[in-house]
Amino acid sequence: MGALLVVVAFTVPLFVELRTVLSWVGVELTVLESVALAAVAIAALLVWALWPESDGPDSSNAG
Amino acid sequence: MSNTYLDQFPAEAKVVRAAFYSSFFALAIGGLFGIVQTLHRTDVYRFMDSADYYTVLTAHGVLLAITFTIFFLVGVFTWAVTTSLDRGVENLRFTWAWYGLMVIGTAMAAIPIFAGFTDSIDMSASVLFTFYAPLQGHPLFYLGLVLFVVGTWLAGVDWFRSWRAWKAEHPDERIPLPTFMVLTTTIMWYIATLGVAAAILLFLLPWSLGLIESVNPLLTRTLFWFFGHPVVYFWLMPTYMMWYVMLPKFSGGKLFSDPLARVVFVLFLILSVPTGIHHQYLDPGIAEGFKFIAMTNTMFLLLPSLLTAFTVVASMEHGARQRGGTGYFGWLKALPWRDPVFTGMALAGLMFAAAGFSGMVNAGMNINYLVHNTFWVVGHFHLTVGTAVALTFMAVTYWFLPQITGKALWSRPVALVQVVLWFVGMTFMSNAMHRAGLLGVPRRTAEPQYEGVTFEAAVGSVGELNAQIALGGVILTISLVLFFANVIATGFNGRSDELPSNGYADALSGPEDAPLVLDNLKLWTAIAIVLVIFAYTFPLLSIVQRGGLFGPEVITFPVSLESLAPIAAALEYGGLATVDGVASAVTGALEPGRIAIAEVVR
Amino acid sequence: MNVHTYEKLWLIAAMVLIVGFIATITYGSVGLGIAMVGDQQETVEPTELADDERFGEPRVEQIGDDEYEVYVVAQTFSFQPDPIEVPENSQVTFHVTARDVIHSFSLAGTNVNTMVIPGEVAEMTVEFDDPEVYGVVCNEYCGPDHHNMEGQVHVVPEDEFDLTEVSVDAPDEVDAGESATVDVTVENRMLDGLETTAELEIGGETSVEEVALEGGEATEVTFTVDPETLEADDSDVEWAVTVDDHEERGTVTVIDAGDEDGGDDGGETDE
Repeated sequence: MGALLVVVAFTVPLFVELRTVLSWVGVELTVLESVALAAVAIAALLVWALWPESDGPDSSNAG
Repeated sequence: MSNTYLDQFPAEAKVVRAAFYSSFFALAIGGLFGIVQTLHRTDVYRFMDSADYYTVLTAHGVLLAITFTIFFLVGVFTWAVTTSLDRGVENLRFTWAWYGLMVIGTAMAAIPIFAGFTDSIDMSASVLFTFYAPLQGHPLFYLGLVLFVVGTWLAGVDWFRSWRAWKAEHPDERIPLPTFMVLTTTIMWYIATLGVAAAILLFLLPWSLGLIESVNPLLTRTLFWFFGHPVVYFWLMPTYMMWYVMLPKFSGGKLFSDPLARVVFVLFLILSVPTGIHHQYLDPGIAEGFKFIAMTNTMFLLLPSLLTAFTVVASMEHGARQRGGTGYFGWLKALPWRDPVFTGMALAGLMFAAAGFSGMVNAGMNINYLVHNTFWVVGHFHLTVGTAVALTFMAVTYWFLPQITGKALWSRPVALVQVVLWFVGMTFMSNAMHRAGLLGVPRRTAEPQYEGVTFEAAVGSVGELNAQIALGGVILTISLVLFFANVIATGFNGRSDELPSNGYADALSGPEDAPLVLDNLKLWTAIAIVLVIFAYTFPLLSIVQRGGLFGPEVITFPVSLESLAPIAAALEYGGLATVDGVASAVTGALEPGRIAIAEVVR
Repeated sequence: MNVHTYEKLWLIAAMVLIVGFIATITYGSVGLGIAMVGDQQETVEPTELADDERFGEPRVEQIGDDEYEVYVVAQTFSFQPDPIEVPENSQVTFHVTARDVIHSFSLAGTNVNTMVIPGEVAEMTVEFDDPEVYGVVCNEYCGPDHHNMEGQVHVVPEDEFDLTEVSVDAPDEVDAGESATVDVTVENRMLDGLETTAELEIGGETSVEEVALEGGEATEVTFTVDPETLEADDSDVEWAVTVDDHEERGTVTVIDAGDEDGGDDGGETDE
């Protein structure tokens, strides 16, 4: 779980600056769209990590 | 039965505990003022007059940058010296004496700062952490700073005494790494504080007491930065020490290289001070050549930090592989991410890498034009002292608390959430501060909302940046509340016998691999002094020659609202002309010197 | 000393990085000519700025075809002059000093940014291209009203820019039935000549005089106003003097014999 928490925390800087990066290629996101995108990504991450069938999620290795 | 620091050195543990609690007390008040400012500046919530913002800002800066960091440092250093030399302090009363002096100094400086909130006491020191003359604080403020610094000097004497006594008994042994770090840092501090001591004792204090009429604002400012830059290394060195001697231990391994750690601290000793002028790139009255020298010195200061990055990551990898981690990056999964001490320090280190990048921009002499004194700088140092240092201190507190109290930490999960929240909050806040700075939003202002000035954001808007800053500030405040909850609740725990032992990490490549010359403190001190003389003699001489030792006649500007009226009146009246017209005989001989060309960046 | 191979490589990479940074900064200084604010300027006495040759009158001065010098005084909590007006496509050298505490002079969103220290003079030369309004902030804390310290630099189209100074000397009151004289002083502070007109509008009548000035010259134009023009329903007669886009206004009070009611907001104005 510890590692998962850290990975989720790591998505924050990525999504905060995603708007800037996308604006370079002409895609303008609003704040709400960024937040929604981040929420989707974090949800996907959590599902991937906590899916019961998944063999060896992050959490099992974390100390 | 545990073998904690408290068990080994019960008397010293009390000193360390007192130092830590003093530090946390400053953190609590400083943090509270932090959120007040964040909400005021971003215009989310304003309940005080904007003039009081600067009093809050002064308290925030002094309490966090000086009191919080340095009290924690003296605690850590005392722990490091006693633990690594395996001997108690030489004279416990002396130890308590310097601690007491630091407390008295802090209180004396705090009184005029806090008196700034009320008009009923005719006292104020809203001069900010940098106290640039001709802004003038109450004499008690300067006196308090002096006592505080003298307290730290005596603490240094204490550590040197321990080392000398140990050396007499162990003539052929290498200085243990933690003690080596303490000693080099202390020497650096002695050299650095000469600047601020000179500024205060020779100029600012006599001036605030009315003994001298005027000061040279550029001279006192330069002396401040003589101290003002190395002071950031004074905060950073205990952090580095934790990364070198504790983080490998928490990762489950050993320090990668003891000799390289010594090299890093020696580099900091010799390069920290001759760089202060890089805070004055945009100061008139200092020649470009001196600025260039400061710039190159500063760039070379990157070296010890880059070496640290390598050693820390290598030590973590070693620890992870000891714990069964494999693969190029797979070992990352084997790290103890559930341990708040480890996770907090690792996140702090990562944030410090980001801070390094914004620092390189600051250090770039002519790039600095764009960001100097903007909100960018505030974003930068909230990553360095506000995260690399503060988050490391908070994380390592979770290890130290049981060591110095003999009580188990109240909650490790809360501690883990706390350090992660700090990382998230600081990401929001610092990122937006950097961005706002690039638009030209100034730092140190109560209301960055102007009538005739607009800041244009390339992406998003200033309003969104403000919202991001406020959000970050709120998250950081929640993180602080969790931290204090943990510290206080731990205090209410009963004694535990199941605590980890006191100690620090061994090295893969030990001191026997380090050349003996590294331990020659006299040599490094001499080199450090020579470099300082090289970097500062000519700038200081030139400043004194230009403006005079006690300056041109300046208008003293005590920082309180009442005193503004007479000054404004005096300006209107124009009754400020003086007799000595000699110096003002500027015969129109404008120097035909080079023309500075700075293109407007659009 | 036992240094790991990877660590040696890292060390070399770090040194390359550092030297690279220093090289880029040096290129910025030497190649691009971005010079630092330095010690080129003589010091000043902050308490005697009023008598100082450079800062006695904060102003914009033309020194070459497209070259200007601006003398700025920063003080709690304003800049003088404000706004600063300069033409497009010009090279402008700012000289900035402080009257009291440390300030800064910073054009928001640009790299025009300098500390302003009492006793010292910051000098920086800036190239302005297109017309634009720049906000100026003080970004160094200077006292309780620091956040209200701001100014503007107006970069205006060339044909809208001049350094013409107009001052009008008109009487506050005249006796009924007598004529009045209005003296208009026009000064051309540009290096190039100026051909324009001075226009006086009073009591519904307009008179125009041609004005031709070499660079740096000043002249006085005198209008004589007939008593008939001053006869109005009201005893207060308004006037306006216009030279290009500079306008001065005032009022002349006509005093009937025996009427001692003097004028109140009369006329000597100075731009």
